[in-house]
Amino acid sequence: MPHSTHLGEVIATRMPEGQSGVCVVRRHHLLVRCSHWLNVPILLGLILSGLSIYWASPVYKHKPDLLNGNVDPLADVGIWICAHVPGLDHYSSPADWVYNHISLGPGMLAVALRLHWLCAYLFMLNGLVFVIGSAMGGGWRSLLPRGADLREAFKMFRYYLGVSLAKLRRRSWMHPRFNTKYNPLQRLAYFSIPVAGLLSVLTGWAIHKPIQLYWLTWIFGGYDKARIWHFWLMWIFILFVVPHVILVLADGWDTLRSMIVGWSTRTERSEDFSQ
Amino acid sequence: MNLENEHSAPEADKTSSTESVSPPRPASFFQERPPQVMEVAPQVLRHWTRRDVLLFGAGAVAAVAAGGALLPQAALKRLGIIHENKSWPRKEWLLNRSLRLDDDVAEALYSIDRLVPTYSKSQITPLKNNYNGATPDPSYIPEWRLTLDGLASGLSVSLNIQNLLASFQLHEQITRLVCVEGWSAIAWWAGLRLDDLLRAYPPISQGKWVRLESSVNLGPWGNPDPYYVSLDLSTARHQQTLLATHLNGKPLTVEHGAPLRLIAPVKLGLKNIKAVTRITYRKDEPADYWAKRGYSCYDGI
Repeated sequence: MPHSTHLGEVIATRMPEGQSGVCVVRRHHLLVRCSHWLNVPILLGLILSGLSIYWASPVYKHKPDLLNGNVDPLADVGIWICAHVPGLDHYSSPADWVYNHISLGPGMLAVALRLHWLCAYLFMLNGLVFVIGSAMGGGWRSLLPRGADLREAFKMFRYYLGVSLAKLRRRSWMHPRFNTKYNPLQRLAYFSIPVAGLLSVLTGWAIHKPIQLYWLTWIFGGYDKARIWHFWLMWIFILFVVPHVILVLADGWDTLRSMIVGWSTRTERSEDFSQ
Repeated sequence: MNLENEHSAPEADKTSSTESVSPPRPASFFQERPPQVMEVAPQVLRHWTRRDVLLFGAGAVAAVAAGGALLPQAALKRLGIIHENKSWPRKEWLLNRSLRLDDDVAEALYSIDRLVPTYSKSQITPLKNNYNGATPDPSYIPEWRLTLDGLASGLSVSLNIQNLLASFQLHEQITRLVCVEGWSAIAWWAGLRLDDLLRAYPPISQGKWVRLESSVNLGPWGNPDPYYVSLDLSTARHQQTLLATHLNGKPLTVEHGAPLRLIAPVKLGLKNIKAVTRITYRKDEPADYWAKRGYSCYDGI
């Protein structure tokens, strides 16, 4: 790879005389890194307690089951699991199985609400930390969507779909070239997450204070619709995290490390990943 | 890179060169900036990495410990982390603190002049009987009386439903009742304003709180289990805070708290006590049935 001409200027040299060093590029501001990792326990707490709250009055219900009067699809799943998975046939409350494993458990509304408020206030504070960090480091500019992003993101999507198959068949599979910090698919995802965070906070307030903040509840289509918004926004985080973790691990230590130390040794922006 | 090339460079790159693509120079405030590169000695880089990984790792361990400790005991037991009940006063303190903080926010959002949204009759939804325990036997209704305590006069006043209906104007409203569980219902209420009762029977001068009690409330096995709520005087004086006598144009049924229940649409449903038998004005915050069971005290929505 030719020594690039587009690196920007080398802004700092911390080298003893006459030695050559490693070129690194700043990637994430300290506050952005802190807020990124703090999201892990906070979102986990919000989801665990949130599902317990949801279960106090589920939105998605079917007609009562003739045998057990159960109306909740996730309770059906629990009953099915306990009936078919070896070793679970004596589980005390099959209808609770799913909630016992993805939430704080049933009948925990008061506890779940307390934990949800604590995590919700921490989540809002953490959002503030992220905003300050992105403003100080200027990283917010790299997240802004560009005109051609949707089309270009599709190219990346196709790349991800084909890359493992191409590896298995030992074919080369070209990584699309971009000269920005994030590729368009990353940018779309990383831009959506703060937006989803903001919407989660707003829908949360809309269902938490539907009388005093009635205008906010109105924006989301009323109290019952705001609850559904809030519920599905949770799934955006869950659906984001899975590929996010897989892709970071696939991309390697440098990418993961950059979210801890803030810099990356990948100083080139138009990287060629062809193999 | 010189400034004259600024606008033409990215276009030229797309077509000609594949070896070296220039990042666009910032043309506007919103445009992504070129990366900041620095050259660092390898040993310095290793030192930075070690320092930051250790710091973030310590933070992660602390977060796992603190977050895990905040989980309820039943969840920790199910996970096999603890085997018997332990009490952590600090954890309770922190969680209760967040509950109080949230109550303070709710109180700050409340305004006695802000009216609750009202609905039309076509928007009315079914209202379920959400008595937590058994529904009381209606035999209490004929002898029902409302007792007022903590009055400026120093007396205790006892009223029956005819006294109330005869002395106070009834007001109608179609408002939403929001339950802490997440469901809600739009219902058509009629009743007297608690504010009117407060004017007719003024509370003690230092009075800041109202305690409303239902002595006919039952527990889950039909055992007597008096229900009581605390209400701040400012909410009590809100013009849409009613002592309701009618639902959907008919006198309240036993399921909905006959003959008189509180309708405070600025509060969660659990404050909307049914079959009120005693109202007491207080200087200090009274106990609250659900607050004692881990829910918040103010419950403003």
